[in-house]
Parts: sequence; C-alpha cells; structure tokens
Amino acid sequence: MNIVLKVTDAAVFAGKTQLVEPTSFDLAAGRVLTILGETGSGKSLLVQAVAGLLPTGLSATGFTEVGGKSFDLTAPTSLRPVWGRTLGILPQEPWLALDPTMRALDQVAEGHRLVRDLEPEAARLAARSDLVALGVGDAERKLPGELSGGMAQRVAFAAARAGGARIVIADEPTKGLDATRRNDVIALLMKEVEAGGSVLVITHDLALAKQMGGDIAVVLQGRVIERGDAGTVLTNPSHAYTKRLIAADPANWIAPTTHEQQGEHILVAEGVSKARGGRLLFSGQSLRVRRGEIIGLSGASGSGKSSLGDILLGLIKPDEGTITRLPGAERHRFQKIYQDPPSAFPARITIGQNLSDLIRRHSLDNISLPPLMKRLGLSKDLLGRLPAEVSGGELQRFSIARAMLLDPVFLFADEPTSRLDPITQQETVALLVELARERSCAVLFVSHDKALIEKTCDNIVEIAHSGGK
Amino acid sequence: MTFTDDVPPRATGIPVRRVIGLAILAALLLFAFLPLVTGGPDPLKQSLRLSLQGPSASAWFGYDHLGRSMQARLSAALRLSLGLALLSVVTAMVPGVLLGIAAAWRGGVLDEMIGGISEAFMALPGLLLVLMLTAIVPDNAMMLYLGISLVLWVEYFRLTRALARPLLLSPSVEASGLLGFGPWYIVRRHLWPELAPMLVTVGSYGAASAIMAIAALGFVSVGVRPPTPELGAMMIELLPYYEEAPHALLQPIAVIFLMVLALQLIGAKEKA
Repeated sequence: MNIVLKVTDAAVFAGKTQLVEPTSFDLAAGRVLTILGETGSGKSLLVQAVAGLLPTGLSATGFTEVGGKSFDLTAPTSLRPVWGRTLGILPQEPWLALDPTMRALDQVAEGHRLVRDLEPEAARLAARSDLVALGVGDAERKLPGELSGGMAQRVAFAAARAGGARIVIADEPTKGLDATRRNDVIALLMKEVEAGGSVLVITHDLALAKQMGGDIAVVLQGRVIERGDAGTVLTNPSHAYTKRLIAADPANWIAPTTHEQQGEHILVAEGVSKARGGRLLFSGQSLRVRRGEIIGLSGASGSGKSSLGDILLGLIKPDEGTITRLPGAERHRFQKIYQDPPSAFPARITIGQNLSDLIRRHSLDNISLPPLMKRLGLSKDLLGRLPAEVSGGELQRFSIARAMLLDPVFLFADEPTSRLDPITQQETVALLVELARERSCAVLFVSHDKALIEKTCDNIVEIAHSGGK
Repeated sequence: MTFTDDVPPRATGIPVRRVIGLAILAALLLFAFLPLVTGGPDPLKQSLRLSLQGPSASAWFGYDHLGRSMQARLSAALRLSLGLALLSVVTAMVPGVLLGIAAAWRGGVLDEMIGGISEAFMALPGLLLVLMLTAIVPDNAMMLYLGISLVLWVEYFRLTRALARPLLLSPSVEASGLLGFGPWYIVRRHLWPELAPMLVTVGSYGAASAIMAIAALGFVSVGVRPPTPELGAMMIELLPYYEEAPHALLQPIAVIFLMVLALQLIGAKEKA
C-alpha cells in the first residue's frame, strides 16, 4: 500500500492540559479513513493538529509525514507549503465558505492560478474542466447565492482541490443535510477515492461511516479507542462505547409498542395550504391530533414540514384552510421544541433566570421544577449558566423541561435532535416521549430521519404535495 | 470548519482599558466638581495684576490674560462640557433606542417613516446643523444641547434597529412568545442585554464627539459666549498670548485631550 499521509504521535494541548492523547495513523492512496466520535471528543482537534490548523491557544506535538516530507507539529506553519497542494480541506457548510461576490468559475480558477501558478487562461480552462467533471459545468457563471446547496458543495469541492491536493479532509461533510444531499456528498467523496485520491472524514454520523467504508477510528475523550476496517468495527464492535454508539443509531432502535390513542382531538387542521417564496409547499393538508398521540412527520428539506408545524401553533397563517384547537386550552399549552437549542433561549440571561421568569409569569409552583430536572438528568449547577455554556443535549433537555412546566397538550418538536450526537439523540428522544406519554401530551415529531420517526411515533403523516412537486 | 466545538470558553477578565478610562474620567470629574464643594476662586473675577502669571505653589494652573484663575475657569468649563455632553447623549439615546425598537418591531410604514427622517438627518453634516440652530438663537446653551442631541439620536436609532431586527425574528423570541411572555419581557430579557454593551460604546463615543463639537463651536466663537468659561473659547482667547504664556493655552487642550481619551477608552471594545 502506498501511504500518502503518515501521522506519528499527534497530540493536542491547551496550555498544559492534554486534550488529545498521542495518536498515530496512516492514510493510503485510494483509501478512506473515517474518524468517528461525538462532539467534544477531540476528533476535529486531532485532524486540525495534523493539518497544522489548530485555533490559537492550542498547541500540538508529533509529526505529520506527507509527500515524503516530515513536518513537526509544534511548528504548524511549516505545513503551509502542503496546504492546497497536497492537503485539501472541504469546509463544513461549504455554501458559507464560498466568496458570495465571486462567480463559481473564478473561485475555482483562483486556486489553479495562485496555488499552482498557472497562467490566467490556463487556470480558467483547468477550472472549467474541474466543474464539468463534477457535473456542474453549467454553473460556472453563477454566484454562490444562485447555486443550490448541492451545487455549492461541488464548487467548494473543486475549489478545495484546485491546488492539486489528492488528500481531502472533510469535516462533518453531511452536517444538517437531508438524505438526498447526503448521498450526493458521499458520491462526491467516493469518486475521489476511486480516482486514487485519499479522503479523511471526521463525523459523528454512523451511516456516513458505513457508506464510506475504508478504515475507521473511534475517538472518545481524546483517545482512539477502537480502529480497524469499517465493516468489522461497525458490525462487530469490541469496545463498549462503540457498541453503544451503534445501538444509538435510530435504525437499530427497538421499535416501541405503539399506542392507539382514543382520546379527543386537541388539534384539527382542515384543507390547509401554504406557499412560500412563490412555491406551493402543500395544499389540502389535513391533520387530526388526538390527546397524547405521537405523530411523525417526515420529508425532504424544503417540503414544508416546519411550516406546517408553525401553522398548527398559529405562528404563521395558512393561505387556505382552518385550524381548530381544543376549546378551553390556553395558548401557552401549545409549545415548540426547536432544532437548534441555543437559538431558542435568550442568549444573555442564565437558564435559571429564564425558567424562574416563566414560573413567575404563569404563577406556577416552584416545586415542580426540581423533580422535572432530575427526571431529565439535569444538575442544579447548570441553572447558573448561560445557554452557550451548556452542551446542546443539556440545553435541549432544558427546553423540554421549559415546555413541560406549562403542562402542554401539544408539542411541536421540529428536528429536535438533528444537531445532537447519536447517543445524546437517543436519550433525548426517549425522555421526550416518556414525559409526553406520562402527561398525555400530543407530539408532532418532525425529522428528516425516517428510521427515527418509524421507531418513535404512533402514526406517520405525509405532507400532501399538490400537482407534481 | 467549526473550531468552537472543542474549544473551552475563553475566560473574560475586566477590560484594562475601560478601567484606565474610568479612572481618568473620575479624576476629571473630581477636578470639575470639587470646587463646588470646597469653594474656590471665582472663574470670572479679573485681576490684571496677575495677568498671564505662570503656575506657582499657591495657584498650580496660573492665570489667564485677564488675571482670572485658570483652575477655576478649567473646572467651570469642564462642568459645562461634560454636563452638556452627557445630557445630550442621554437625550439622544432614549428616543433613539425606543424608536429603533419600534421600527424593528413594527416594520412597514412606521419603519420607513422613522428611517426616512433619520436619513434626512444623516444627509446633513452634524456640525452644520448645530451651527444653524445656534445661528437662529445665538448665545444659548439650550440650542447647542438641542443641536447636538438631534445629531446624535440617528446613530442610536440605526444601531438599535439593526441589532433588534434579527433578534426579534429569532427563534428565541418566538419561543418566548409561545411561552406566554409579553413585549416588555422581550425588551428586558432579549433586547436590553444585547443593546446595553453597544450603548456604552456608542454613548462614550457620542459624548466624546459632543465635547469636540462644543469646543469647536466655542473656538469659532459661535457656541457659548465669553465670559462664560468654555474650553474652545478659552483656546481662542489665549491663542494671542501663546509666546508669553504657553502653559495657559496648553491647559484647555490637555483637558479636552484627557476627556476624549477617557471616553474613547471606556467605549473601546476589547479585541478578541
């Protein structure tokens, strides 16, 4: 095997504290290496250290051998000559990484011209053939704002590789993408591998690791705890953490005993339609929610899942149709759990302040909060922190607690776990369902993850598309 | 790439610059207001015998061309400048912030109307507006105050509107609405904590530019009229005596410099 990237004893420090233990790994030509781990496990730091791209305040030790030369990681800038030429980095959310005022062809040509020192005309030709090879040749005159997400990703990919890099580092390449877009990205990376390039993927997405194949290294708390061939590790894990990680994949969840709900209807939508940005999202959509029922809503991004939920809550008005809520139930008993927990809390006040404001606003009992927090596994110390100072999983459990304080009859959970790690996701969904069942609170659960919906909900609803798309 | 995932939160200390700025400001305030408590020479009392006398043990700051105590004149001028500047800043800040929130919240016609008025003010050079007002009613500190406030409010309005708009559209405000909180809560818990640091910064810069404007108008003899002590007017009065008594001319300059420096230091944001 032809080793193109050899890492020896790479470790990361913040001052004297070791964040990532000395780790060694190799990447061969035409191979994939996936580094799998949850948020905060140090997987991103490890790869940033290897590429000499650690943020200020952190330092690394160890060596990276690339292109037959060895680089000391204590002097990260020495790696500068390989950036773009040998090591290419595919940014997370590439549509944000492209220059919004530059046309696609120019963005890619820039790499050819400045990194590979080609003449302007030659650079444009090279860029054009890159774009054509990736199937986005017709996008060369477009600005990033005019590109679809998938096209932007390809353009960014072409730009990242324009310097001639054959080793591509992809940090969470599927973050926040729905199934179709994910498959596009995976195909893009696999094409690179088939052409003899090498790909280093950082992810917490088990399905991505499975589809990429190659080798896998599982990272936990700054340490590689398991490594090997992807097929072997994923089907026959040896470490307890890897086993938990695999069990946390919604596809492997144990299907619940579904509950046929006979209660009264608390929310009825009839013939609802909504258009956004000149495009009809859905029309003639009807939905009946019974007390305590857990309904799943699945579909591709942009299909109007969130809009439907917001219409049910009365946050936006439907173009047609009627919404009837349970008579006698106050407005605040219809609640929402947001996709991105930090954006659902006032950023500059402590969580405890927010909750006690809520208790005062509705003259609630002070004693109902501590047992609720205990149920959700939230320690009291967290109340004194700002939303940005707790983890996403903790904050999402706080938002469940916040909603439950109001004794809701209906909860709209809009992709509540798509930003969480698999294990945290499983715990959060389990708690949400458990509490909702206990309190006979109906839940409309929106997710792009079909398996998650199937393993969680009593009923599944499809968005009613009208005519063609 | 997201680097923040793995990075521990940065510890925030007390901004050193702000402490220095506050210390200078406190010293200036002490200098300005202590004579009111302890009593001191009259800033208007002339004594030609002492004309242009330099600093001495009994009078640290010396005397001006009419033999008036420089210390008394400086502290009186400071009271005027600082008082007028702070008053103008508050007068500009309150309606500016309120209108900014209103425009961001209501949008539509209201937004466009207030926005249009603010742009009309922006189109006019600030000093010119103050000059016009003082020309209409000369020798009136009230006009100076009104003019400066009219120039300053636009900035508070625009910044508040720009900050409040995305906040009001954010999921956190939507969530607070669903939880049953009213507009007052949203102002107090969502908007105010984000606006307050901005107001400190813009407020101190605004006060600094108000002080400069007052002095500039005094310097061209448009603002406050003699014999009222005013820093800009003092400079122009003492300019002819530069050769004989440079100390006298340099004092009001130093005071303005310190005042603006203190306010800039207070306003400066810590660089990340």
